[in-house]
Amino acid sequence: MREPRVVWALMRRALNEILRVPGAAIPGVLAPTIFMIGLSGVFGAAAKLRGFPIADDFRTFIIPVGLLQGAGFTGAATGVNLARDIEQGWFDRLLMAPVGRSALLAGTVLSASLRCLLPATALLIVGFALGARWPGLLGLALAIVLISALAAVAACWAVMLALRFRTQQAASLMQIGTFVAVLFTTAYAPKRLLTPWLRDVSELNPVTHVLEGVRQGFIGSVTWGKTWPAFAALLGLTVVFGGFALRSLTRVGR
Amino acid sequence: MRRATLALARRSLRNTLRRPQFLAPLVAFPTLFLAVNTGGLSRTTDLPGFPQVHGFFDFQLAAAITQSLLLGGVASGIAVALDIEGGFFDRLVAAPVPRLALVAGRVLATGVLALGQVAWFLALGLIFGAHIEGGVPGALVVFAIGAVAGTGFGAIGVALALRARSASTVQGIFPLVFVILFLSSAFFPRELLSQPAKAVADYNPLSYIAEGLRDPIVSTVSAGPVLYGLLAAAALTVAMAWLAVLALRGRLAND
Amino acid sequence: MAAIEAHGLEREFKGGLKAVAGIDLAVEPGEVYGFLGPNGAGKTTTVRMLVTLLRPTGGSARVAGFDVAREPAAVRRRIGVALQEAALDNLMTGRELVELQATLHGFAPAKVAGRAAELIERVGLSEAQERRVGTYSGGMRRRLDLAMALIHEPEVLFLDEPTTGLDPTSRFTLWDEVRRLKGEGTTVFLTTQYLEEADQLADRVAIISAGKLVAEDTPAALKADIGHPHLNLTLAHGDYADAARTVVTEFGPLRDPDGEAHVAVELSQGATGIAGVVRALDEAGLVVEALELVEPTLDDVFLAKTGKHLEGADAPVEEAV
Repeated sequence: MREPRVVWALMRRALNEILRVPGAAIPGVLAPTIFMIGLSGVFGAAAKLRGFPIADDFRTFIIPVGLLQGAGFTGAATGVNLARDIEQGWFDRLLMAPVGRSALLAGTVLSASLRCLLPATALLIVGFALGARWPGLLGLALAIVLISALAAVAACWAVMLALRFRTQQAASLMQIGTFVAVLFTTAYAPKRLLTPWLRDVSELNPVTHVLEGVRQGFIGSVTWGKTWPAFAALLGLTVVFGGFALRSLTRVGR
Repeated sequence: MRRATLALARRSLRNTLRRPQFLAPLVAFPTLFLAVNTGGLSRTTDLPGFPQVHGFFDFQLAAAITQSLLLGGVASGIAVALDIEGGFFDRLVAAPVPRLALVAGRVLATGVLALGQVAWFLALGLIFGAHIEGGVPGALVVFAIGAVAGTGFGAIGVALALRARSASTVQGIFPLVFVILFLSSAFFPRELLSQPAKAVADYNPLSYIAEGLRDPIVSTVSAGPVLYGLLAAAALTVAMAWLAVLALRGRLAND
Repeated sequence: MAAIEAHGLEREFKGGLKAVAGIDLAVEPGEVYGFLGPNGAGKTTTVRMLVTLLRPTGGSARVAGFDVAREPAAVRRRIGVALQEAALDNLMTGRELVELQATLHGFAPAKVAGRAAELIERVGLSEAQERRVGTYSGGMRRRLDLAMALIHEPEVLFLDEPTTGLDPTSRFTLWDEVRRLKGEGTTVFLTTQYLEEADQLADRVAIISAGKLVAEDTPAALKADIGHPHLNLTLAHGDYADAARTVVTEFGPLRDPDGEAHVAVELSQGATGIAGVVRALDEAGLVVEALELVEPTLDDVFLAKTGKHLEGADAPVEEAV
C-alpha cells in the first residue's frame, strides 16, 4: 500500500525544516538544557533533603524532566508548524491529496518523535559533562523510546489546537499544555516530598508514569514495575489524543 | 511632550487589553511555574540556611512577579516590533511628536500593566494562604517596586525592538529571560545557590529587585532590601530608557 | 454524465449567513466553464465545496462522477486544484514540492522524479526548480501551483482566479495552457473577475451574485443579451440632435442621452457599425463634434442581472514572470 510512503514523505518534509531554518530550531533544542542547568543551579540544594534517591544529586534527578520537556516542546512546535501551514494555504493541498486522514496525521505527528531526539541529545551531552549519572544502555534506550512516544502524543495535542484555532497564535496554548503535563508530576521531588495537592495531581497525571519510566535507569536500575505503567500510560494517551486529533482532522471543512 | 506620551501610553494599554490571548501567557506561565515550584519544593524551607518564612509559597511570590514583569517587557518589545513591521511606527515618527514620547509612551504603559500583574499575584497569594507580613504598607511597597521594575523591563523590550526590528527576533529572546532569572536569587535564597549561579546572582540586578519585592511579603518592610530593590529597578529603568532612546535615534538616523 | 454537477448546493455559516444559497449547475466533460462574480459573491466558497475542502450544508454536488461529501477520496484522485492563494511551502524547492505532490498522488518512487520533471518543464520552471519557493515571484508561484495541480492528469481542473495580479504576458501564457488542456479533454472550471478572460476561454459562463446563480450562457449570448456597444455622439449644434436621432435609429435602438446636443445609439451590429453611423450622419450634413464608443462591461452585465455594480473589476497589472 502507498500509505507508508506517504507518511515517510510527510515526515521527511517536517525534518527538512530544521535543516532549512536552523535558527528557528535552536531555542527549542537548547531550552531543556538551559532549564536543567538553571534549575539545578538554583534548586540544587533541595537534593540534600532526605528522600531524594541519590543524595545531593539534583541534576541527575531532573535530567529526565528535561528529556520530557524536549518531547513536549517538539510536539508543540509541530502544532505551530501545522498552524502556519494552514495560514499559508499549504494545508489545503494536503487535504486535497488522495491520502487517508490517518496517514496525514501520522506523517505530521511522527516527525515529532524523531525531532525530539535533538533537544534530548543536547541535554544528555551537557548533563553527562556536568557529572550526571550514566543510566546504562537499557535505561537510555528505554528513555528514548518513551520520550519519542510522548513527543507524538504532544504533537497530537498541538495538532488538535492547530485545527481548532487555525492560527499560529495558538502556540502558547500548545506550549502551556505540554508544560503543565510534564511539570505537574514528580518532576522536582519524589512523591513523598511533594505537597499534598501536587502529590494527588501527580498520581492522576499519566505523564508521571512516563517520567518515572524514563528516570529509573538514571537513579537506579530498570525494573518491570516501573516500565509497564509507563507504556500503559503512553498507550492510553495515544489512544485519547490520537483519537481526538484524527477526529479533528476528519471533521475539517464541516 | 506629556500629552503625547499619555496619548501613546493610552493607545499601548488599550491595544494590549484588546488582545487577551497575548496577555494571558504573561501571568499564566509564571502562575503555573509558581504552582509547580511550590508543590515540588516546599520542603526546602527545612534546609539549614533557609530564611524564616511563613511558607515556601510566600517566598516564591516575588519570583513569580519578577518573571511576569520580565515577560511583560518582552511583550512590549514584541508589540513595538509589530508596529515597526506593520508600518504604524513610521506614522508615529512622522507625527510632530517628541522622539522621547515614542519610547516613553510604551514604557509607561508597561509600568501600568505591571500594577495589574502585581495585583494578580498578591491576590493569588492571599487566596492561597500567603501572609503579607508587611501589611498594607508592605503591599504598597511591592506595587511601587513592581511598577518601576515593569517600566524598566518595558524599556529593555523597546530598546530590543528598535534594534532588532523583527518580532520573531524579540520573541526568540524569551528563553533568555529564563536564563537571566535563573542566575539570580529570585527563586531561592542567595546563600543556598550553588556556585556559578551564586557568583552571578550577586551582581544581577534581578536579584535585588526580587529581594525588594519579597521582603515586604515574608517579613516586615526592612530598609535594606527595599531600598536596594528600588535602586536597582530605578537604575535599570534609567539605563534601559537611555539605551532605547539611543536605539531610536540610531534608527531614525539610518532611515 | 456531467463532469461537475450541483443541485441546490448551499453553504451556511454560523449565524445564518448563506455564502452559497442554492446553486444548480452542470458542466459537460471537456468544457471550459467560467464562473464570474464580484468578491464576496460565493465563488471561492462554491469552489471549495466542489474540491472537497468544505462540506455543503445543503444540497449536493458530484465531481467526476462521485459525490463530494460522501466519496471525497474518489473525487480527490480525479481533480486538480489551483486556488487563489498558491498553496505552497516556502521552505521547499520547486522540485521537492512537485515530487512530494507526486508521492501523495500515489506515483511509485521510481516514477516520481521523472513525472515531476515533466510537469516542471511544462510550466517553464526548469531553471528555477532548485530554488526555494519563498524566492519565487507571484507568477512563478502560480505556475508551480499549476504543475502540482496537473501532476496526476486530472479529469477536472479547478482554477480559482488564476490570473489575478499577473501581467499580460503571464496571463496569455496561462490562457494558452487552458486551451491546451481543453484540447486534451480536461474539463476546466475557471473562476474569474475578468470578462475578457471568460470571453476568451469559456464555452459557457455563469454569473454568481450573493450566493446564487443569476445567469448562465455562452459569453456571446450574455453580452448580446445585456447590450451591444453604444455610441455617444456630441453634435456641433443642438438643433441637429433630433435630425441625428432619426438618422441613427436604423443602426439600433436609441439610448437616453444626457444633454440636448447628445445622441446615444446602441449598435446592434457591434462596433463595426460605427462606420455606418458616421457615414449616414455625414450624408445628412450633420456635423459630429465628438464620438465615443462604449463597450458593454461586466458591470453592465451585473447591473442588468443583479441591479448592482461590480466592484474592483479592473486588473492591476503586477508581477513580471
